[in-house]
Amino acid sequence: MKTIREWIKKHRNFNFFAGAGITSLILLVALVGIFYTPYASTEMNAAAKNAAPSLQHIMGCDNYGRDIFSRVMEGIRNTFFISLATVAIGTFAGILVGSVCGYFGGLPDDILMRVNDALFAFPSILLALVIISLLGTGTINVVLALGIAFIPSFARIVRSEYKKQVTLDYVQSARLMGAGHLRLIFVHILPNIVPVLLSSVMIGFNNAVLAEAGLSYLGIGVQPPEASLGRMLSEAQSYLFTAPWYALFPGLVIVLMVLGFALLAEGMTEE
Amino acid sequence: MAETILEVKDFGIEFHDHDRPERVVEHVDFSLQKGEILGIVGESGSGKSMTALAIAGLLPRKKLRKEGQILFLGEDLMTMERKKLRSLQGDEISMIFQEPMTALNPTMRVGMQVEEALRIHHPEVSAEERKRRALAWLKNVEMDDPERVYEAYPHELSGGMRQRVMIAAAMVGNPQLLIADECTTALDVTVQAQIIRLLLEINQKEQVSVLFISHDLSLIRQISHRVIVMQLGHIVEQGDVEQIFNAPQEEYTKHLIAAIPQVVL
Ligand SMILES: Nc1ncnc2c1ncn2[C@@H]1O[C@H](COP(=O)(O)OP(=O)(O)OP(=O)(O)O)[C@@H](O)[C@H]1O
Ligand SMILES: [Mg+2]
Repeated sequence: MKTIREWIKKHRNFNFFAGAGITSLILLVALVGIFYTPYASTEMNAAAKNAAPSLQHIMGCDNYGRDIFSRVMEGIRNTFFISLATVAIGTFAGILVGSVCGYFGGLPDDILMRVNDALFAFPSILLALVIISLLGTGTINVVLALGIAFIPSFARIVRSEYKKQVTLDYVQSARLMGAGHLRLIFVHILPNIVPVLLSSVMIGFNNAVLAEAGLSYLGIGVQPPEASLGRMLSEAQSYLFTAPWYALFPGLVIVLMVLGFALLAEGMTEE
Repeated sequence: MAETILEVKDFGIEFHDHDRPERVVEHVDFSLQKGEILGIVGESGSGKSMTALAIAGLLPRKKLRKEGQILFLGEDLMTMERKKLRSLQGDEISMIFQEPMTALNPTMRVGMQVEEALRIHHPEVSAEERKRRALAWLKNVEMDDPERVYEAYPHELSGGMRQRVMIAAAMVGNPQLLIADECTTALDVTVQAQIIRLLLEINQKEQVSVLFISHDLSLIRQISHRVIVMQLGHIVEQGDVEQIFNAPQEEYTKHLIAAIPQVVL
């Protein structure tokens, strides 16, 4: 407890609080969205087609007369959890691959990193597209595809951190105490790369938000009638002039989500 | 008859990481008895640290050729199975490093780090007993408030305190051999004196053999029973501390001793 308080004290800066504020607001909306939305997200109302924002529909309605606010809530929820799962897969596998490569070096490192570089050469979203074309569409597959696509960049960061850490005295000293490889990798070194890991997780999360929105925009992410921020943007395209709010609000939320996380990441690394 | 803890025979190291092989240690012979403090002194680059790391089993295995023997209690550390070596490291052989600022893990509580050797080598020891021994050692190294230090993170401690923590961590498993490579170099003079006094005390009480490496002759003189003088990877001269300082045989040793700054009060 004491350390958490100290930690917050150390990172007390504008970016951190602005980021934390925006992010917790969005998180709150996502959580509430699980249990409650003003309207059912798929409920259509012919009378309210493309309705402008009003007291009944604070963000207006889409071309089927569905409440955009409710759909945004659901969209945030989907995007948030997909991104979270994506980053979790990327981080976990990235730590495994990166730590082993960075710690041991040598031939396995060379081989794995060549493979990694080859994968890294493709933009994550392209890689995800390839994987989805193999696995098929659907939420789980999107998570898997994005997660796998994120491994190379995490592995790289983790590897270079491990390369740095293994040369440090405290690792030598723990090794001399008889600590085995696994203990050195996970008990001694891993906590020391958490700060770096944390900011790349945050950036990774942002990329995941954008990638998920991108995939859904292309129609291969979250499948209708489930709401997704990216999908809403793509559907809103045809109504940019008749119902500008349709594109505006999902777009704004994506921007806020990414901004909040970026600020948070920035604030956490700032001393 | 004293028991021989360490015997180094015709030891050499050759690096192969550049175009030409580079011999950094050659024909090094010495032995260390139980309870003895052996000082190794020599200019920068004379191979002191390389020798120490080799004894600790910490030399990289790649791009490097080693020759000779390092016998610890009669068994050769250089040819020993890795598993056997690992069971000695931290339990029978431990080491204190030069930089107390970097030798402790910044993300681990001091107590955890002091207990590490016990946790690894003696899983049969209960958590309470581990803590009890760690606290006892923190007390032995003259911590005013062992309980607080036990819970602290390294950055909360001064350099001198950290070095004492390192000593506690090195001693908690009751090793036979303690290697101290420039362990006071990064500290100021009063703290240096305290560390030296502590090491002498521990050596007396625990009968641990100490390999004390330094380029500071006056420290070597204060602490050592016997002294080895090294230059360019070779042993120039070795002998009892009085003999080395009062009746040096070699020109190089005479030079070194003549160069000790004389403090006149
Ligand atoms: N990777 C390497 N390749 C080639 N030579 C090396 C390598 N590492 C160390 N050396 C050489 O080994 C020699 C002995 O180094 P060592 O660190 O043992 O000296 P030292 O006596 O401990 O000096 P100091 O007092 O500065 O600590 C040095 O001349 C150094 O240049
Ligand atoms: Mg040295």
